[in-house]
Amino acid sequence: MRTRGRRLTKVATSLLLAVIAFVFAFPLFYLIATSLKTKADLFAPVPSLFPPAPTFEPYASVLVTRGFGGLLLNSVIVGLSATILAICVAFAICYPITRLPASPRLRAFVLNWALSLRFLPPVAVVIPYFAVIQAIGLYNQLPALILVYTIFNLPLAIWMLRGFLDEIPLEIEEAALVDGASRWYAFRTILLPLSRTAILAVVIIVFAFDWAEFLFAFILTATPQAMTFPVGVQGLVTQFEIIWNDMAAGGVIAILVPLSLMLIARRHVMTGLTFGVIREK
Amino acid sequence: MSVAPARPIRIGGRVRAAWKAQSRQERLVYQLLLPVFGTVFALATIPFVLAVIRAVTSDSRGFVGLENFAQALGNPLLYESIKQTAIYAAIALPIEILGGLGIALLVHRTVRSNVVRAAIYIAAMIPIVIPQIAVGVVFRLVYLPDYGILNVLLGQTGPSQPLWLSSPPLAMIATASVDVWQWTPFVYLVMFAGLQTVPSESVEAAQVDGATSWTQFRHIELPYLRPLLLLVLFFRIADVIRVFDHVYILTGGGPGTTTEFLSLYIYRIGFQFSDLPQASALAVIVMVAMTVFYTVVSRFLPADRG
Repeated sequence: MRTRGRRLTKVATSLLLAVIAFVFAFPLFYLIATSLKTKADLFAPVPSLFPPAPTFEPYASVLVTRGFGGLLLNSVIVGLSATILAICVAFAICYPITRLPASPRLRAFVLNWALSLRFLPPVAVVIPYFAVIQAIGLYNQLPALILVYTIFNLPLAIWMLRGFLDEIPLEIEEAALVDGASRWYAFRTILLPLSRTAILAVVIIVFAFDWAEFLFAFILTATPQAMTFPVGVQGLVTQFEIIWNDMAAGGVIAILVPLSLMLIARRHVMTGLTFGVIREK
Repeated sequence: MSVAPARPIRIGGRVRAAWKAQSRQERLVYQLLLPVFGTVFALATIPFVLAVIRAVTSDSRGFVGLENFAQALGNPLLYESIKQTAIYAAIALPIEILGGLGIALLVHRTVRSNVVRAAIYIAAMIPIVIPQIAVGVVFRLVYLPDYGILNVLLGQTGPSQPLWLSSPPLAMIATASVDVWQWTPFVYLVMFAGLQTVPSESVEAAQVDGATSWTQFRHIELPYLRPLLLLVLFFRIADVIRVFDHVYILTGGGPGTTTEFLSLYIYRIGFQFSDLPQASALAVIVMVAMTVFYTVVSRFLPADRG
């Protein structure tokens, strides 16, 4: 009796989990299916679940014909520059508060300030930035985006990095310092190599966030010269409504980059998103 | 009583030397921190100051006091957008939190295989890492009339099909459902991680005492999850205030203003009506409100800020 009941529960829960998985996976499946359809397939009286003649044409159409390759390049330039800047700034801020005898109040102030930035809605922030950036002639220029992205992904970078640095014992560097090494030397030869994993994790996750950003880029750029990929995808939706396969291909490309990065850094994604509250062992 | 008086002096010297070393290190803290932190602090704060200045001035008349704030706060559409945002939150957040918690408990109690658990972990991360714009695209393909897969699956493709993105109550449900799709897995991951921190001895002791699944949750697991539930709630509230991308793609705030949530409303005032003074006033109000919100809630957040 008891084992039969248990087996029944097991079947029921497996079924339930399968249904949940289906609900979550199905929209993504339909996106990929649509991105592989030919133009003719779009006008079938009943849309098909599987593309009858799978083709990569929509991808070529988005990247080459529509020139989104250039937007992709902008996204990469902005993402890489903002990520490198953010990790350098985060290191400059985290080093003194984790490796030196900073007062607890100073440390709490810096970390609190960073976390509070996370709570500001981008739309409220972008309004004053918009005016400044126009005034200093950076409107529709990549450096404007790099600057804004660097600042607003700093909370993530600072919190992740300080979590990692806190885990590296102070004694390792102190041993070198006692032996007469300079702080800079100890930083370069001991701390930096020890934080290689940390840096990689922060870089991957910050880059993925930069890549996905939409509102700042949407408001601070106007032409393909500075537009990022998500802004282009938004244009596909509102301007070329009927061309769903191109729109879907744009969506798939937008997803692929952060998805593959996050799979590489999967152990650190939740740590980043919850500001260090959730830790993977 | 006649102990050498040199001793205290020597200690004093040593203390002074230690103090000197200490203060040199402390000075180094400021020397390293101030230039960089000061710069980013200024870069993040100056816009706020400029927003305040912009909000209390007019191009033609100079200082206008609180006129723009009065205009911003006197606009009935602002309260409409706050109401819509609240409805959106009231639909999405309970489903996300209860759903995420429910699935976490289900997996925690019934799935024993580490491989399956790891697979669910990876799968749950997928919706979270998808850019919001792409999520908008995904759900356009779900909710569109004629081509959208939902109506196809429901067998509703005729002229009387439900218009998920352009009829009032449905558009709200459609946009909120996207939030549920993207963020329930996040709640799941946080709650599942929280459940792993519950000591197995207390659970086993409770089971020996014949605790039901509910009492085990209520009295043993919930106390461990409570700070995480608060964390999730605060993060989700902050995120609902910023909701923009997927709604902009799906409904653009329509039909009418029925899905024009707070961020979309501010965007429209600032960039479609080009009323930057009023939008700056709104931005100041929202930034102050969120800073107050943060200050109040941050002491309850489990994050270690020490």
